[in-house]
Amino acid sequence: MNIIESDVTRATADDTWLKSSCSLCYGTCSILAHRVDGVVIKVEGNPDSAVGKGRLCGKGVGGLMTHYDPHRLRVPLHRTNPRKGFNEDPGWKQISWDEALDEIAAHLRRIRAEDPRKLVVQRTTTVTASRAPSQAFVAAFGTPNFSTAGGGLHCGNGAHVISGVMHASWSVVPDFEYCNYAIYFGASKGHAAGHASCSNMGKAADARFRGMKMVVVDPFCNFAAAKATEWVPLRVGTDAALALAMCNVMVNELKIYDTPYLQAKTNAPYLIGPDQLYIRDPKTQAPLVWDQESGTARPFTAVPSARMALRGSFTVNGVVGRPAFALLGEHLKKYTPERTEEITTVPAANIRRLAGEFAREARVGSTIVIDGVTLPYRPVAAIAFRGSQGHMNSVYNFLAVDLLNQLVGAADVVGSCLGFNPTCYGHPDTKLPYYVPKADADGLMVTGMWMGYHYPYPTNKPRMPSKQLGLQDVFTMGMTSPFLNSTDQEMLWEKFDVPYRPEMLINYGANLLMSIGNKDVVAESLLKYKFIVSFDLFLTETSVLADIVLPDCSYLQSVDSRSNFPFIFSLPAGLGEWCWPIRQAVVPPDGEQRRYADVLLELADRAGFRADLNAAYNATYDLQSPFRLEGDRKYSFDEICDADLRSHFGQERGLDWFKQHGLIKWPKKPEEVYWRPFVDVRVPIYWEFLKPLGEQIAAITEPRGLKIPRHYYQPLPDWIGCPSHACDAPGFDFYAFYYRDIIHTNSFTMENPWLDEAARLDPFSYTIAMNRASAEKRGLKHGALVWVETEKRRKVKGRLAVTEGIHPEGLGIAALAGHWGDGMPIAKGKGVFFNELLEVDWEHSSPVNLNLDLCVKVRVTAVETGQ
Amino acid sequence: MIPLNRRYEQLIQDLRSELRPQREWAENRGLFLVIGHFLVGVAGGTWLCSLLFELRGGLAVAFCLGVLGGLSHLAFLGRPERFWKMALHVRTSWISRGFWGLSLFLIGGVLYLVPQFLPGAPWRSGSVPAAIGYVVSLIGMVGIIGYMGFVYSSSRAIPFWNSPTHPLLYIAYALRGGMAVLLIILMFEGRSPDATLTAIKVWLVVTTVVVVLYLFEIYGAVSGHNPAARQSVRDLLFGRVAVYFYGGTLLIGILIPAMLVSGFVFPLSMGTLAIIGFASVIGDFFMKYTTIKAGVYMPLYPRVTRQVGH
Amino acid sequence: MRLGMVIDLKRCIGCYGCQIACKAEHGTPPGVFYARVLKREEGQYPNVKQFSLPVLCNHCEEPPCVDVCPTGASFKWSDGIVDIDHDKCVGCRACMMACPYNNRYFNDGNQNYFGDAGSTPFERARAARHPTGVVMKCNFCRDRVRAGKMPACVANCPTVARHFGDLDDPNSEVSRLIKERGGFNLHPEAGTKPSVYYLPA
Ligand SMILES: Nc1nc2c(c(=O)[nH]1)N[C@H]1C(S)=C(S)[C@@H](COP(=O)(O)OP(=O)(O)OC[C@H]3O[C@@H](n4cnc5c(=O)[nH]c(N)nc54)[C@H](O)[C@@H]3O)O[C@H]1N2
Ligand SMILES: Nc1nc2c(c(=O)[nH]1)N[C@H]1C(S)=C(S)[C@@H](COP(=O)(O)OP(=O)(O)OC[C@H]3O[C@@H](n4cnc5c(=O)[nH]c(N)nc54)[C@H](O)[C@@H]3O)O[C@H]1N2
Ligand code: SF4
Ligand code: SF4
Ligand code: SF4
Ligand code: SF4
Ligand code: SF4
Ligand SMILES: [Mo]
Repeated sequence: MNIIESDVTRATADDTWLKSSCSLCYGTCSILAHRVDGVVIKVEGNPDSAVGKGRLCGKGVGGLMTHYDPHRLRVPLHRTNPRKGFNEDPGWKQISWDEALDEIAAHLRRIRAEDPRKLVVQRTTTVTASRAPSQAFVAAFGTPNFSTAGGGLHCGNGAHVISGVMHASWSVVPDFEYCNYAIYFGASKGHAAGHASCSNMGKAADARFRGMKMVVVDPFCNFAAAKATEWVPLRVGTDAALALAMCNVMVNELKIYDTPYLQAKTNAPYLIGPDQLYIRDPKTQAPLVWDQESGTARPFTAVPSARMALRGSFTVNGVVGRPAFALLGEHLKKYTPERTEEITTVPAANIRRLAGEFAREARVGSTIVIDGVTLPYRPVAAIAFRGSQGHMNSVYNFLAVDLLNQLVGAADVVGSCLGFNPTCYGHPDTKLPYYVPKADADGLMVTGMWMGYHYPYPTNKPRMPSKQLGLQDVFTMGMTSPFLNSTDQEMLWEKFDVPYRPEMLINYGANLLMSIGNKDVVAESLLKYKFIVSFDLFLTETSVLADIVLPDCSYLQSVDSRSNFPFIFSLPAGLGEWCWPIRQAVVPPDGEQRRYADVLLELADRAGFRADLNAAYNATYDLQSPFRLEGDRKYSFDEICDADLRSHFGQERGLDWFKQHGLIKWPKKPEEVYWRPFVDVRVPIYWEFLKPLGEQIAAITEPRGLKIPRHYYQPLPDWIGCPSHACDAPGFDFYAFYYRDIIHTNSFTMENPWLDEAARLDPFSYTIAMNRASAEKRGLKHGALVWVETEKRRKVKGRLAVTEGIHPEGLGIAALAGHWGDGMPIAKGKGVFFNELLEVDWEHSSPVNLNLDLCVKVRVTAVETGQ
Repeated sequence: MIPLNRRYEQLIQDLRSELRPQREWAENRGLFLVIGHFLVGVAGGTWLCSLLFELRGGLAVAFCLGVLGGLSHLAFLGRPERFWKMALHVRTSWISRGFWGLSLFLIGGVLYLVPQFLPGAPWRSGSVPAAIGYVVSLIGMVGIIGYMGFVYSSSRAIPFWNSPTHPLLYIAYALRGGMAVLLIILMFEGRSPDATLTAIKVWLVVTTVVVVLYLFEIYGAVSGHNPAARQSVRDLLFGRVAVYFYGGTLLIGILIPAMLVSGFVFPLSMGTLAIIGFASVIGDFFMKYTTIKAGVYMPLYPRVTRQVGH
Repeated sequence: MRLGMVIDLKRCIGCYGCQIACKAEHGTPPGVFYARVLKREEGQYPNVKQFSLPVLCNHCEEPPCVDVCPTGASFKWSDGIVDIDHDKCVGCRACMMACPYNNRYFNDGNQNYFGDAGSTPFERARAARHPTGVVMKCNFCRDRVRAGKMPACVANCPTVARHFGDLDDPNSEVSRLIKERGGFNLHPEAGTKPSVYYLPA
């Protein structure tokens, strides 16, 4: 009999398991890579790690097929055809690294001398490890134009900002260990995608097993809804209305809310004047609250929170002031369940029931003892992510959802809605990394750490002229901006006196031609660059437009002292362990592949700004002496990683130590996980700063002809429709939206033949989901080839999957598929390119945070045969 | 997109559907199995009929068909060089039994036929080896006529084949095939009208039996509650197999011969006789081909759930 | 000893992790799935349920695939694992017609996933295990199990939906789960006595 030798017992020259990190999505789960005779024959989860707990999703465990893809780039390429475009053959010619680096360095030197802002650097979100080197590079070079292309624009301008303001974190998730009732508004965390994706899958399954109820508000009964106790289909993009109606029921009908929490941890008691602003103490400028005991208005710092009034109307210094909470209560009355049913299609009775279930299960006032610490216990969580935030009203959509948590005090306490690890007291030996949210002068929370340009709160003051091409210095709530690639960018740059134009783009991986919006629009913006360098694994649709393409190393060939941004994307929230894993090379580069971080160092050397780069690394990695990089010494990236690790975890724990151990971990303290009661900060249920911000922005933009719709800048959230909600053109009767596929990461993984194969077997991965009754009404059949077309005549073709599990007005398209380039031949032609339907311009961007509108009203028609 | 190959693309499509057709035994190299089964079946039937009608030429034809059938089987196998290993599991495997059947048939056939056709052979007709050959080939013949239906009815994944009538149907096929070949041979041999008349009558009876059994099997599949069996009938009558069914099984195999028979009740020209024979044989092939091709795997899902789109 | 698996449909989210983990462990060629994940829906809008059903060889106690095999290539080990000896298989595919669970695949010689671009070093390292012209299926990761590890799909499942152990031992986790949660088999009426059990969603 053919007994196959066991891999475990086989004794060969080279048979090693190496501890590293996955990179098929930004979750960065810890892996063990099995190398035999120089070939990676298996990737498994590292059971020692808190990141993934030894288990990987399908993408992760199949990663070696991406690594070994014969279509990967292996040599530097130079374009010989100066013309760029979809139909232009770039005429790639292989060049040496030396030539490539010299040419790039020459451009860098010139631009840095002229105006460093002409350099734009962007990276894919998928490889989080690319952030730190890129960040250090742009800081050293001196350009503010650092972007994540479609990333952030689609997933973060609302989600990250609101999570940052309200939870001091990039994102939120239910406390799976203790939550009893979670309500999801367009998020699949724990069921397909999102932050700490794979770890959360395990945690969510445990919660389900324990009996946690989960209500999923989503136009599509896909991943989260499939495992939910209840699926609540709604009209695309109307989440704010639903959440506000639930808040209304809680506050005005059931009168269930957490008074002590609102008094102590939010700005609910702050008195608001008729001008919608805080009434401030003339002396200290501190916002005033009404002290119920003394019957006077006093600075919030001067009154024990339990005495602060939440209701009523008080005359203070000659004006009538009302606690923010009272205004919120009034405001919410607009959102009757009945009116909300019309907006959302969710039956009024269900809205009342859901609100009641959520409010009661919150067990306002209860406590629980964990590790001997008595903590508030609020086992409910309302969370949201890309689904509900991917709209023009993303700020309000997200804020409205979080108000549910804030009303019952279910924020960063046991069982509640948790931020991703915003409080860390550091490793016991070094007390690093250390960050804790703190309060600003108004008592409002400022996050302890952040990975964007600027903290989400307090917002910067809008400024002219704009330094940033994305105009984030005008629209200061925007983290990522569509204007780097919009149709109207030139008009906007002129309006805002942007004193330069982008000339050079360094791209790391981002396939922005696919990931932002309509490809023609994005291509047009790319063609304006004089010089594009792309570091990539494949000749993607985007990299084809570059002048020089550099073959990067894959995750199995790279080194990084922090395989992720600690601790947002990869480390799950909730109790457990802190865990800092690294990435190490399992196999050497193939051909002439080189590591991105090393190449950036080399470029800095050749362009003459190594000293600046060293300094930037000191800042980016927060290196402490004696590990700080000095002068213009030529450190290798390995040495920098070594410094980072020693600086954080002690002299004896350098890169070699980590290569051997893979990670360092230590237990989380309850005060870190459930930090809210321990940190004296408040969060705004009333966004007082928004209105003045709007005015300041309008003061800049309106004289230049750009009107700021003020209803986006009101301190209390509303539901504001997207352009799609205003479209009533006959025949355009579906709201098209996209969603993450469990087996694919954005546009990346269709090239992996195992994942592609699984997706081809899946009923939805490569199809267009439509409600059965809606399809029947239009005479459309399962499997039919259809056109999906927008009012602006943008269209894509795809196969219909008819299902009962989708809102009758929704049209669900998975992932970021539909590749057309030849550089990823497995991916080519698979699935549907949703983004072709998206406009990229001011009209489709949120005037608050520049979030792009990702839902679009479409007409669906059968493709005529022969077409 | 790189198309890996057609088979792979087809498999992916098949796996997407709840009622997945079997293809291994009918398509690509699987066609050789149908051909093999067809030839071997006809060989068995022809051998039997030739014995009954004492047609020496028929025995030779039957033997040759058996050899071709065997080769066709080999062509079907993924690893033909290991064919002899199929002898090992007679206890439970119908294929093993069939393997023995065919082997005995061919070995016996050689022993029995060689002296009849090669005068200089080391043993003579009527000698002990020839007699042994006669018996052995008879056993082999019974084997190959009998086993085939069981190969299908023991294929538990394909409900359409699971009916108890299936083995009977295959025996009937064999006889009908045998009679049909006989009709063709009769044309060449120019036998007495009596024999011809008897032959055509037997053919008619056997054909009737085949048709009845066939209808019975289809009725069983339709009236039963097995979704896979019903799908098989749908595929057979209205779907991917329908062309072969109507054209091959029905028109060539039943209607044309029936028309010819009814048109010339007597006397039959030898030519039409042969046409009837050929049509019947071709029809038999399609009968087998279509029932095999119409095989659909039983669905995997435990409850009555709907696949997206169905 | 009768090795068996329990798959908890309440935990499973249909991530295809098992399907791909198995691919990674065995490097099976295109078109050969030792493990697969099926998706179905039940009900009518808006009362719909979506299900995932991961499938693999059931390692039936009374395996029809073994009965029909003419060569003995399909056989059962004493620990209950139903296996195929690729050196004996003639590729007659009778077993594929016998398995009521569609869990057998014919390796027709299509050996690499990148087609004309050639096989990867990984595929080359694994290819020796996959002779062509024979039928292949899940072997419960026999090598891993012998080495004291869990099958690849079990070890990897991110939701811990899969469990593996001895069904003959009433105290094993698998036996306990089946008893406590009402474990069921696919097609019990087929009389094959599968060793893979499912726990209700
Ligand atoms: N329709 C639709 N549009 C979307 C999304 C969607 O799901 N659907 N998602 C949106 C969101 S939230 C985001 S974040 C963006 C993401 O959009 P992108 O940032 O473009 O991310 P990906 O599509 O995952 O990957 C892009 C490419 O990165 C390259 N890459 C991968 N690993 C490496 C590496 O190690 N080194 C180098 N140099 N390159 C590598 C590969 O070429 C890969 O194809 O897309 C947004 N757009
Ligand atoms: N498997 C996988 N994991 C990933 C990624 C991936 O591509 N694949 N990408 C990573 C990245 S970059 C990101 S940003 C995260 C995103 O993670 P998620 O936010 O979880 O991603 P999505 O699936 O895009 O959106 C969640 C849900 O929103 C629904 N939805 C769409 N429109 C609406 C709406 O208007 N209202 C409501 N209520 N729901 C709506 C969709 O149907 C979907 O079920 O995942 C990360 N992890
Ligand atoms: S969740 Fe992301 S990082 Fe984790 S295994 Fe899957 S692809 Fe890799
Ligand atoms: S790996 Fe686990 S959760 Fe994923 S499909 Fe398989 S059984 Fe289900
Ligand atoms: S599941 Fe199929 S292949 Fe596996 S033992 Fe049972 S019958 Fe045989
Ligand atoms: S294909 Fe191989 S394993 Fe299957 S029945 Fe034939 S010889 Fe046995
Ligand atoms: S037990 Fe092993 S061979 Fe079987 S499906 Fe799981 S991983 Fe594949
Ligand atoms: Mo994202």
